[in-house]
Formats: sequence, structure tokens, C-alpha cells
Amino acid sequence: MRKMTYREALRSALREEMQRDPTVFLLGEDIGRYWGGAFKVTDGLAEEFGDERVRDTPISESAIVGVAVGAAITGMRPVAEIMFGDLVALAMDQIANQAAKLRYMFGGQAKVPLVIRTPFGAGVNIAAHHSQSLEAWFMHVPGLYVAVPSTPYDAKGLLKSAIRGNNPVLFCEHKLLYPIEGEVPEEEYTIPFGVADIKKEGADVTVVATLYMVHKALKAAEELEAEGISAEVVDPRTLTPLDKETIIASVKKTGRLVVVCEDCKTAGVSAEIAAVVAEEAIEYLDAPIKRVAEPDTPIPFSPPLEQYVIPDEKAIIRAVKEIV
Amino acid sequence: MLNLTKEKLIEMYRKMLEIRLFEEKVFELYAQNLVPGTIHLYTGQEAVAVGVCSALRKDDYITSTHRGHGHCIAKGAELKRVMAEILGRRTGYCTGKGGSMHIADFSIGVLGATAVVGAGIPIAAGAGLSIKLRKTDQVAACFFGDGASNQGTFHEGINMAAVWKLPVIFVCENNLYAMGTRQSLVMAIENIADRASAYGIPGVAVDGNDVLAVYEATVKAVERARKGEGPTLIECKTYRHRGHSRVDPARYRPKEEVEAWLAKDPIKRFRERLLQTASLTEAELRQIEVEASAKVEEAVKFAIESPHPAPEEALEDVYA
Amino acid sequence: MPTKVVMPRLSLTMKTGTVGKWYKKEGESVEKGEPIVEVISEKAVYDLEAPASGVLRKILVDEGVDVPVDAAIAIITAPNEPLSEAEIAAEMPKEGVEEEIKEKVLASPAAKRLAREYGIDLSLVKGTGPEGRIVEEDVKRFIEEAKGMLPKVKEVIPLSGYRKTSAERVSMSFKTAPHSTIMMSVDVSKAALLHARLQVSYTAIIVGAVAKALAENPLINSTFEVDKIKVFEDVNVGVAVATEQGLVVPVIHNTDKKTLREIDSAIKDLTAKAREGKLKKEELSGGTFTVSNLGMYEVEFFTPIINPPEAAILGVGKIVEKPVAIDGKIEVKPLITLSLSYDHRIVDGAPAALFLQKVKHYIESPESLET
Repeated sequence: MRKMTYREALRSALREEMQRDPTVFLLGEDIGRYWGGAFKVTDGLAEEFGDERVRDTPISESAIVGVAVGAAITGMRPVAEIMFGDLVALAMDQIANQAAKLRYMFGGQAKVPLVIRTPFGAGVNIAAHHSQSLEAWFMHVPGLYVAVPSTPYDAKGLLKSAIRGNNPVLFCEHKLLYPIEGEVPEEEYTIPFGVADIKKEGADVTVVATLYMVHKALKAAEELEAEGISAEVVDPRTLTPLDKETIIASVKKTGRLVVVCEDCKTAGVSAEIAAVVAEEAIEYLDAPIKRVAEPDTPIPFSPPLEQYVIPDEKAIIRAVKEIV
Repeated sequence: MLNLTKEKLIEMYRKMLEIRLFEEKVFELYAQNLVPGTIHLYTGQEAVAVGVCSALRKDDYITSTHRGHGHCIAKGAELKRVMAEILGRRTGYCTGKGGSMHIADFSIGVLGATAVVGAGIPIAAGAGLSIKLRKTDQVAACFFGDGASNQGTFHEGINMAAVWKLPVIFVCENNLYAMGTRQSLVMAIENIADRASAYGIPGVAVDGNDVLAVYEATVKAVERARKGEGPTLIECKTYRHRGHSRVDPARYRPKEEVEAWLAKDPIKRFRERLLQTASLTEAELRQIEVEASAKVEEAVKFAIESPHPAPEEALEDVYA
Repeated sequence: MPTKVVMPRLSLTMKTGTVGKWYKKEGESVEKGEPIVEVISEKAVYDLEAPASGVLRKILVDEGVDVPVDAAIAIITAPNEPLSEAEIAAEMPKEGVEEEIKEKVLASPAAKRLAREYGIDLSLVKGTGPEGRIVEEDVKRFIEEAKGMLPKVKEVIPLSGYRKTSAERVSMSFKTAPHSTIMMSVDVSKAALLHARLQVSYTAIIVGAVAKALAENPLINSTFEVDKIKVFEDVNVGVAVATEQGLVVPVIHNTDKKTLREIDSAIKDLTAKAREGKLKKEELSGGTFTVSNLGMYEVEFFTPIINPPEAAILGVGKIVEKPVAIDGKIEVKPLITLSLSYDHRIVDGAPAALFLQKVKHYIESPESLET
């Protein structure tokens, strides 16, 4: 086991997969030798693998993804980086209409083994165009896989699986996660998509959380533990495919559910998870489902404003206490 | 003539005819309610697809559009399976999942038709990047229309291909109308080929109804690409004989204009040229016409007799 | 000013009352103090007086309907006073007023599931959740406390189809018709001879005897209708058949006009059809009396429940050889017990017994049935 940051874990996955498979290559803005990636994830990789395989692109999100699609359907395994999650909007046709649908539309003739990595999340005061959480957009597009790793261990294992898999993946990272540290095995490992992880066991309430919210949920759980409330924190790790079994088994055990996701509440990720549980396990609910999410606003700039809209431990604790 | 073998000329003529007869047949079948949805016929533009694809190898790639039956047939797609797909049958190239606007045959390098205008441009560039990284000498040809040249992807895709010197041939089929909108209403320039210089690549405008002219320009562009010198933009001036889609009577086009272009029918012109230059005899031409007609009939029979996919198949092939 | 006529509280514990007969029609004039409607509580029948003089403008509740105490049952206005639809609507009894007024129990889905599994009535459980909501813990506690007293539910059979209809009919019959049952022992030795000679079943002989006795005692061949007794001309005896789906009673129309052989073949035919579920609508309706034979199950005598809306039902038990005293000497005779349940509103014990005697007579002298 080795301690490394989330960012290092991602880099390690990229390096290992590029070493293992010559068809894997990276493209994106400022990911090459001059910058090493806006969040330094690809730092050093251009030096190691060359500028052809770690390729700086023009500022052309639509073409970045489009070129990645064209390469993916002709035998390569591209990993494209969109610098900020908010900018996926510029590439939505290539992501949702092309990458997600080519296999289906062409009757199974094509496979699109493409990974798009991008950071979502608020908390560093860079305002409305650089702070959104848009995972729900992709959960809603059939044909796409969506990963939301919350720890270095999960990030590395899932990124390797994403690259080796044959489906287009939206690999959703979080800005605040890059520096956090965690234990990562020295030896080779991958994590399959569609398998949730129980980050903390508990008996009184199930708290499903994603990305950075997993850490807030764990902190909240610690405080709740001191007050005699035992929370079970479930991290889905991938939104598509979603590990419904683990979530429902947990709800059957505790009878109570709080879903914590950073995206805006309406039609967000938490809405889908709540609906699944209500549809398939309502007989086991002993109280209404609670969702903790951002309010329906863009992310504001000034610190007190931004802090107000991001869900925090207090909000999670409050939600839990409303139903236990 | 142009150092082309007789076989090559026969092949070109045959392919143009097959496309023409195929499209006319689809037009008829639509009136018999056998074609679900709508169709965008290639009638009149045969010289572009055939001119370009005749300069390509089987392992070269093309990307196509909603008006793409011609591209796929020219690249070597089986008429039967194209027709079956258009009729929504299980035996179609896409097992009925795609339809007229999404024909694909990966075994002959047809990377599929997209219905989002301009979306194929970066995808073709991506195929070019793939070729470059794999270090083969393949090339990718990208078909798109005058309308697509205003889409952001045109700019982004060609720019990327240019700066990375990707082996792509960008073929703009300028038929003067994007759906119902005349070119002069939506851009301030006349020759889309002139945009090439903005990206630092060669751009050439050719008579899109002269199959040999298209062929010649493509051969040059392919050579350039295979040598690693980068992409070329070829603008083919051509015209659709029919409306944008099946139900469009195209009243936005002046009668004189239509008639003038019909007189420049690419198949008629090529036929005359072949006779004039004694490359082929009347009898040989008739023979090709008969064979092409029979092939189209066979395709129709095959398609009509094919079963529809089972409804539950709608749930398959979403993921690999 | 329109005046409401309301259901009065006729006793301290009265919660609802039934509206009985209206003595006045809509539009008629009424005098204050004049009785205008009959109201019925569980204990009493009361003539309700008009609370004001004027016109009985609108009757809100019909005869036979239950309403809660204080609910408006009519509106009296001055002769030409306007009364809008809205004002009427405001006084109309709310939907479901006929049903028992049950309080809605607030319980979580998990609590409901657990209660269902243990067959617990949630209205007995105290809720400790928000707003008094019953949560799973509360049900668990209830079960713990009731341990030993509450059997665990093995299976919950939802009431539907035949079972549901039958439950409703049988309840209705038993509740509305006061049942009394008289039993009589019958010597079937002569019937046995007839059975052997004519190859007709005992049931056929009994049905034949019943039909003839009904023709002679028409009051038993009738039905009770609120304020009258309707006596039927036709004698249509139904014979109860147990099938896989449940009890079915096919009917032999004009039984009194049929010969024993005809009755016997009708019984065989209808029984077969009943078991195959192939009875036609006409074969299941029009009955005026029912015969139910439980003899093959070794039952000797029983208290059958009248097949509504008939007046009576004859239960037949098994044939038992018994020693009887005849003229001081013991003889062994085959005896069968007949059990007649009758609607006491229609006949009293004596006429019922007379009818049963007649049935006994015809079974013991069956040659009278051969004509």
C-alpha cells in the first residue's frame, strides 16, 4: 500500500494504461509538457510518452471530443480531458449524440472505447462557469457510462476500468478531491463499474453520497455517532451502471435514506436515486426520503454566497435528524 | 483519357448508375408507404461520391451524412443491405436501428452517417489522428454540405486536422442549398474552398458534376495525405435534382436554375464523354445500365422480403 | 333565511342515524312542530318535527341513508325565498357518510408491512413518530408485548370473487332474516323402495316431496320485501351443489309440475353442469326454495342459512339405521333428519312445522309423488 493523492492516483492510472496498451493516448487543452494539465493530473506524462500521445489541443471542446470519437471507432483508446466540467456543454453533441449513440444506431457495428475526464464541483470561488456539477446530464443519456470516484483508491481503479472498457465513459472528478490523500495498492488492480462501496457501516440511516460529498457525509457520520445515531455511508462510485442492490440492501437494513449530491436538487442525481428506492423498496422505508443538494441556483462568486449553496456537514446532520 | 483503365471507367459509370437508380427506387417505395420516416436523396450528386471514393482504397475511411446513400454505395456498400436498412428491416446494415440517415459498414471503412450537420468533420479528423498514431498510410474522407461549412465543428475539426497534418480529405458538396436556404443568404463568400487558406491548407473548387474532375482533385489530395502532408478541402459544385427531403417540393429554387443544372446531369455528361472518347461502346454502356437496374431490383426484392426486427431488440446494443 | 333540518341526537351515545320515511314531499308546505320525517337510531324510531314553518324546499338525504348526528337532511325556506345551488351544495352530506367514520391511521410503509405480516390492526398501535406516525419500532414493540397472544399470520387470502360475494350474501341473509330451525325425523324405508324401483335418487324424492308441499303451503314459497310478503305462483326448487369454486344452487323450474323421473334427470344434469361450470344464467336464477343435502358428509342435522331472498331452506342429513319403537316393539328403520330453517318474519313455528310435516308425509308415502 502506498499513500497518494487523488490526482496522483489518476496520473498513475493513465501512466500504467499507456504503458500497457499503445492504443491509449491523451488529448486536451494544456495537458502536455507546457502545463501538465490545469489540475496537474497529466503532469510529466508528455515527457514520458511524447507529444504525440499526450497531445495539446486547440480550444475546441467539440472537436476534442469529436476527434476522440473518430479515433475510438477506428481502433484507438483516447482519454480526452475537458478542462472544467462546465465546458462539456460545448461538446454535448459529440458526447450525447455521437459517442453515446454510434454503437446503437449502427446496429452494434461500432464500439466507442472513449474516456472523457473532467472536474466538477464548487468551493474555490471561480463562479458560475467553473463550478457546476453536471453528472446528472450524463446519467440521463443511454449509451454513456458515468463514474464518480471519491477517493484515490476508487479513482485509480475506476479509471483503469474505464480505459480498458469498450463503452464511452464520462469520468467525473471533483476539484476539491485532487489533493486528498488515500491508500492505494502497489500491485495492479481495477474496480468494476456498477459496484458501490460502503464507506462506513451503520444501522440507523443510509446516507448515499457522491464525489466530495462522500467526505462530508463521513464527517457528519462521525458527529452523529457521538450522538448515538449510526449512519451507513454508501458511495455508488459509478452512476451508470448504478449499484441498486447495495443501496436497497442498506435501506432495508436501516429503514431510512438521505441522499447527498452536490448538483442542483431539481432533477439531480439524488432525485434518481430517491426515485429508485421509492419505487423498489418503499415497504422498507420507515420515514420519508431526504435529499441534500445545492439549491436551484448557479454557483455564486463571493465566499459567503458560495458557502451558502454548497451542502455541508450541518445540512447532512440536519437531514438525518429530521427522519431518525 | 486520364490514365484510367477501362475497368476503372466502367466501375465509375456503374456506381453512378447504381446510385441514381437506387435513389429513384427509394423515391418510388416511399410513395408505396414502405419507407418509414423520411429520406434525403442524393440524385444529381453522384459524381461527387463516385469521384471521391474511386480514389480511395477499401481500407480508407469515409464519414457520411443524412444525404448519404450515395457515399456508402460509392464506397462499396451492398445495395441489398442499404435498402433493407432504409426499409427498417432486420437485415439492414444497422439491423433497423439507424435507418436512412445512419447507414454504416465498418468492414469497408464507412464509419457511418450522422444526422447532426457537421458532426462528421471532427470524427473524420479523429479517424485521421488514429491513422497517424498507428502509423499506417490510410486516409479518411469526410463528406459534408455547404450548410455544414458554417457549423462550429467545420472550423474546429479542419483547424485541428490542419495543425496536426492529419490525413483527411474534406469534401464539401456545395449544392447551393442548406435545406431551403440558399448559400448566398448565409455566407458572404462564394467559394467555400477559399476558407481553406484560413487553416493553412490547400482548397480547391471543382465542377462537382464532372466525375473525372472530382476524381482528379481527390487523387491529388489523397497523395498529399498519404505522404503525411496534411488535409485538403475540396469544394464540389453540384446540385440536388430533388428537394431536401422526400416531401420537399423545393419551391425555393428558381425554375431556370433547376433546369440549367438538370441539363448538366453528371451521368448524362459522363456517358457522352465515354462515347465521345470511344472509351466504351453504346452496347457496353447499355449492358452496364441493365446490370445496374437488375441489381437495384434485386436489392428491393431482398429488402421487401426481409423481416422486421423483433420489438425487444430495441433494448440491445446500448452498451458494449 | 333558509332553515336546516338536522339529524337529532336521540341518545347520548348516538353517532349516526338513519333517515326513515319522509312524510312530506319537496315543495310541500310545512308548519313548525309538524312531523315531517321519521328518523331511526339503533334504539328508537322518532318522528322529527319541522323546526320552522315554510316550504320543504330540498330533501338532502333519502330514505334509508345513514348520516352523522347534526348533519343536514333537508332545507326549509319561506315560500318564495331564493336558494342557490351553492347553498344546497354546502349542506349536502359529504361522500362516504354512509360508511363508518374511520380515522386515517398515519404509519410508515415499513410499519404497514410489518403490521400486515402479523395481521395487526394499526389502529391499536400507538405511534411515536412525528405527528404521531406509527413507525416500525412501534409495531415491533406491540408485537413483543402481545407475544403469545398474537398468532403469526401464515397466509393472507384476499377476499375476492366467489368468496367475497358468498360472504356478503350469507351475511345479508343471516342479518336480515331472523332464522329459526326445526328438525324432524323421517322414515325413508318406503322411499328406499321407490328409489330402487324407479332408479331415482333420494334427493329427487325429497325435492319432489318439497315441491308438492310448497304448492299446498304457498306462504313458504315466498319472499319478504320491506313492508310486504310476495307469494310466488311458480315453485322453483334449487338444489345446492358443492363445486371447486364453491356452493352453487341450480334451479329446477316448475318443480311441482314435473314427474319424479324428470326431477331426477334435471338434478343429474344440473349437478354435472354445475361441476363443469357450464350452468346458464336461467339455470341459476328464479329459485323460490332451496334443498341442501349434507348427508354424504355424514352430517345428521344442521342449521342451514336461507338462500336469500327465499323464505326457507331444507337441510337434509344422512340416512341412519336407528331402532325405533313402533307399537311397543323395537324395529330398525332407516331414518333421515330434515332441518328446516325459515324466515321468522314470514311464518311462525306452527305453519313452518305444518309444512315440514307435509314434506315428511310425502317422503314416507312416496307413491303419492308418482303421479
